[in-house]
Amino acid sequence: MEDLLDTSALIQLRVDGELHELDVLAGRTLLDVLRDDIGKKGTHLGCKTGHCGACTVMIDGKVAKSCITMAATLARATITTIEGLLDEKGGLHPIQQSFWDEAGLQCGYCAPGIVLSALELVTENHHPSSEDIELALAGSLCRCTGYQSIKRSVAEACVRMYPADENIN
Amino acid sequence: MTQGKEELEGYVGKSIRAKEARAPLIGKAKYTNDYTFSGQLYAHILRSPHAAAKINSVDVSGAKKVAGVHLAICGQDVFEHTNGITDHLNPAIFGGKSTRLPCMAVDEAWCFGQPVAIVVAEDERTARYAASRIQVDYTPLDPIIDVEKAVAKGARSVVPGWEDNTLIYVPFMNGDTQKAFDTASQVITTDIKIHRFSSQPMETRCYNAMWEHDTQSITLYGTCQNPHPLRLVIAETLRMDENKIRIIASTIGGAFGLKMHGHPEEPLICLMAKLLGRPVKWVESREECLLIGAREQQHKVQMAFDSDGVMVGLRDHVLANIGAPSACPGWGMVFLTGLTMPGPYKVENIDIHMNAVTTNKPSWNAARGYGKESTAIALELAMDNAARQLGISPIDLRLKNFIAKDAFPYNSPTGLVYDSGDYSGVLLKALETIGYQDWKDRQAAARSEGRYLGIGMAFELTPEGGTIPGTMVAGYDSSTVRVGPDGTVRVLTGITSPGTHNATAMAQIAADELGVDIAKIEVLQGDTNSSPYGFGNYSGRSTIVGGGSVALAAQDVRAKINAVAAALLEVEPDTLNLVKGVFSSSAKKDATLTFAEVCYASYTRAYDVALCIDPPLEATRTFKPPGISHLPDKNGRINPYPSYSNAVYVVVCEVDADTGKIDLLSLAAAHDCGKVINPILVEGQVCGAFAMGLGGALTEDIQYDANGIQLTKSFKDYVMLRMADIPPIGVAHHDSPNPDNYLGLKGAGEAGVGGSAAALVNAVNDALEPLGVLMHEMPLTPSRVWAAIQDANNGEGVN
Amino acid sequence: MSLHPMYARPRDLEQATQLLASLSSGAVIIAGGQEIMPFINYGVMMPDVYVDIGGISALRGVNVESDEVSIGALTVHRDVQSTAEILERLPLLAYAAQQIGGGWQVHNRGTIGGNIVAMHPLYDIAPALLALDTDVELLSDKGLQRLSLSQLQNDSSHGLGSSSILTRVLVDTMLPNALWGYYKLKNTAGAYGSANAAVVIQMDGEKIASIRIVIGAVSEKLVIISEALDGCLGCAYTLEVGQAIEKACVEAIDEPLSDQQGDGVWRKAMAGVAARRATEMALSNLTNSSIKR
Repeated sequence: MEDLLDTSALIQLRVDGELHELDVLAGRTLLDVLRDDIGKKGTHLGCKTGHCGACTVMIDGKVAKSCITMAATLARATITTIEGLLDEKGGLHPIQQSFWDEAGLQCGYCAPGIVLSALELVTENHHPSSEDIELALAGSLCRCTGYQSIKRSVAEACVRMYPADENIN
Repeated sequence: MTQGKEELEGYVGKSIRAKEARAPLIGKAKYTNDYTFSGQLYAHILRSPHAAAKINSVDVSGAKKVAGVHLAICGQDVFEHTNGITDHLNPAIFGGKSTRLPCMAVDEAWCFGQPVAIVVAEDERTARYAASRIQVDYTPLDPIIDVEKAVAKGARSVVPGWEDNTLIYVPFMNGDTQKAFDTASQVITTDIKIHRFSSQPMETRCYNAMWEHDTQSITLYGTCQNPHPLRLVIAETLRMDENKIRIIASTIGGAFGLKMHGHPEEPLICLMAKLLGRPVKWVESREECLLIGAREQQHKVQMAFDSDGVMVGLRDHVLANIGAPSACPGWGMVFLTGLTMPGPYKVENIDIHMNAVTTNKPSWNAARGYGKESTAIALELAMDNAARQLGISPIDLRLKNFIAKDAFPYNSPTGLVYDSGDYSGVLLKALETIGYQDWKDRQAAARSEGRYLGIGMAFELTPEGGTIPGTMVAGYDSSTVRVGPDGTVRVLTGITSPGTHNATAMAQIAADELGVDIAKIEVLQGDTNSSPYGFGNYSGRSTIVGGGSVALAAQDVRAKINAVAAALLEVEPDTLNLVKGVFSSSAKKDATLTFAEVCYASYTRAYDVALCIDPPLEATRTFKPPGISHLPDKNGRINPYPSYSNAVYVVVCEVDADTGKIDLLSLAAAHDCGKVINPILVEGQVCGAFAMGLGGALTEDIQYDANGIQLTKSFKDYVMLRMADIPPIGVAHHDSPNPDNYLGLKGAGEAGVGGSAAALVNAVNDALEPLGVLMHEMPLTPSRVWAAIQDANNGEGVN
Repeated sequence: MSLHPMYARPRDLEQATQLLASLSSGAVIIAGGQEIMPFINYGVMMPDVYVDIGGISALRGVNVESDEVSIGALTVHRDVQSTAEILERLPLLAYAAQQIGGGWQVHNRGTIGGNIVAMHPLYDIAPALLALDTDVELLSDKGLQRLSLSQLQNDSSHGLGSSSILTRVLVDTMLPNALWGYYKLKNTAGAYGSANAAVVIQMDGEKIASIRIVIGAVSEKLVIISEALDGCLGCAYTLEVGQAIEKACVEAIDEPLSDQQGDGVWRKAMAGVAARRATEMALSNLTNSSIKR
């Protein structure tokens, strides 16, 4: 049984397209590994209890809170951080463009949860209702905006990415 | 939504998108915790588990034995290396008590969470583990948690040596209030309890200090709203020269007053770096951040009215539970609450008593509104109560009592001079925005169905740009404008941004004054080595004094550029036009020069065409708003605020009488912040403040047990509002410009927490009026609302 | 209590149970981590060993056999919300899973096993499962044990989370004429529940044939109310019956919780309100509408 136990685990993460093989100590969060080992500072620490969403990344295409994900448990995973949304030419993702156009954020600290949750939403539901947006962003706190500009930005992103069908009233 | 400069019309007044907003959207903004330096070490602070205790001994030997620990020390060690922390706002200046404010407790801990020891190690986990190995011997003392206990006769002093627990007592008296009350037609008393709640920005505090071996100086990367003043604090506390301290406040993830200086960790982390000769970083946990509170105070408001419903006298007796003493400016909020009375109302006879009382709760820091939000809460809840008892509508009672539009500049009974305002106009606009009559109709229909809908309104007066004589709370600020040889622009300013994009507002002003494309402007803030001396961000001052100083500096530089252009074109400067980066002259056809050519010439032709100027193309100017007066009037009062933003907030809600739960249906605000530089930025501030106030009124609460141990440890307990909680907010502007400030700016960003909280309470009371419920204590959690409904019905509840 | 904990990722159940048996104490089982990581992050829990069961395929998947739905412990909330077998056969469970807080992030990573093992009074899965006929399978080196979820709630010797593994959740398919409701009272959108009620009712025409209500978030243990409602059996649902249900549920609460979500007096009353509203939901057309993710 002893050969099962180790103080660390070897994991393989493809982060924003780049493959990383890491030996991570047990107990460390994915957030710390991303920020400190890989140098991806765009994902933020807000509470360490999984309530605020500032640490959000996508794991295999689904949003997750990296501060309550133990890195060692991700034997092999594809991670998308907020830094991984630009296109090949370095242009903004339509969601990022919409947030820019609509002045969606202020201090920007909450961006990872807000933007990536919006991405998962619009991927699954091209024409979300106001309530759908609220549910998709329920895991994210923002202290600056009162959410008005955020909702506007997400709605605009959906329209930008999936213009309404002409036949739908 | 379009953006960009319209031909010849300029950027100011337009919703220009903030360039600095791009970086966080792509995950490239640099927040303080994003910096890690070679040789980086990490600190963990051991904190008092008692609200009040003698510290008999601190044994750090267990911590030192842990591999990877570089330092473990206690308060006695820190004491040897430091002075007390320099106050942000010294109560002694105002006749209050002061005491040595330690970076770390030495003989006695005076609140839960006070630093007692610190460990610096290779990583945070090791530091925390080692800290758990420190043995502290405490003798708990009887904790003083409630303000009543603190002011009771014979109460133990929270601060050893103080004769009582009142940090400062400030009266505000004017006129003959006794007579007013004696001859009044009706006196209405309202007891109001404001609870302890907190700004809680999404980014907690972080300090990363470095000892620079070459210059024997300290560089501190910190989440600091006021980098320049903080330099002096660090210097004085660490017994160093101020010119040996550099503070860099990089991008901040929200501040709202919580990051104003005075925190013990600021000099403490710098000391660690100095002792170790290596960079030391401390990242505040959310649990630690929740220790920082504000606003907890009780008001006994008495309003005396004549038979027409005009307020003839105002009394208020306030007890504020400010927690343990601190170098942070939290206590000043109590002073401000009183100073801002009677708000927008024209009553002249006032008798107001403000008591800031120390207890063994953790200390306050400033919180958005800085006391003025509490003025709004107290006044607006009392006004609604008065309206109900007088049988006058809450709208009419306010309209009757507002200072008239033509009465400005208005001398308030506390000595403030309000610059301009149209309070009735703002109220009516807010009501129009929410669709007041329509909601009244819906309320009536709901009542007939046994449902409880309520509409509440509240006014908030927000003096902005404050300055207090003899302190670093200063009413002026400075900016440097530099135009380079290629015509691109750098603006360096002493104001900082907590995430509000005031850099863009500064750029708009500079672009208009210089006549350049805003894309050519870079704004730098936050580094004390490069920005001119400034006081940072608080009190809505950034646009007033930052914008004002940028404008002055840009005007100076533009004058130089004009002079050189005129010399090059051989025309008079007043014949020049600058359009889309090209100079031409009405006096000379077909002669043009690009802006860049003129700039290059300014640098390179100092001894011929540019003889008329002093190169380089740079100017540093200061804006001192004229409306401030620190020379006391005959009553010894000063006017420390240059401008007076104001707004009305309206909330429509439905109360579920079976559960006490409050559902928000509609929200509106009408706002007067003078001239608006960037509407979309202002709108963002209004909405953010609205959400913060609603959160405070509905759910946010910092709680303690009977022994003063903090129960609220995470966002599980401290519940802030989410997107689903907040319906759309209608925002309207009703501006009356400040006649003195640049462009008529008044400031935005601070207002809203009080007005929105009060509007919510008023809405709930309006909704539950048929049940005879009246609540004047926040937060209005379902549990409390339900209990109030039960009580009002003598326990029979609702049928 | 260790600064350098160990980590193991057994590849199957046999390896996992043997490993757990060989570790004396200080071992903590981790799956999605949503429950324990906050405590790890703050140093409140400092396990000596993490046993990661996330790689064990036997803990995954949703199967149906003889009308019993077998849900692997590692099934994430998102899948509980949307897997066809659960939507069709256990719509109450799917709906309750949608009410889980923390947002999509938690729905994507949190597991049904982890949620049950947490035994947190404020959570949503257990009330729904207790309103249904639910057994759980526990595996340790002593073998496989099957017991009802309500038995588990009362048995503190189960060793879940440290020495035994919850492997599968077994729920009988709801009867075609079973009506269900779930009401979660939260102070605000981001709050934990203050009072939850899960209800399953069977009607015989217009009359109530059977009714079971589970109240969560009101007291430390979940409260199952069944016999106390016998008075409603054979009755049509009227205002009086609704009030009787409410009263019975209030009376079933002995020691209500008091915390920042709300005090005990209120919570006790809310047990009744939540029960009544869940009952009304069950009886309304809402139960027949499709469930959105």
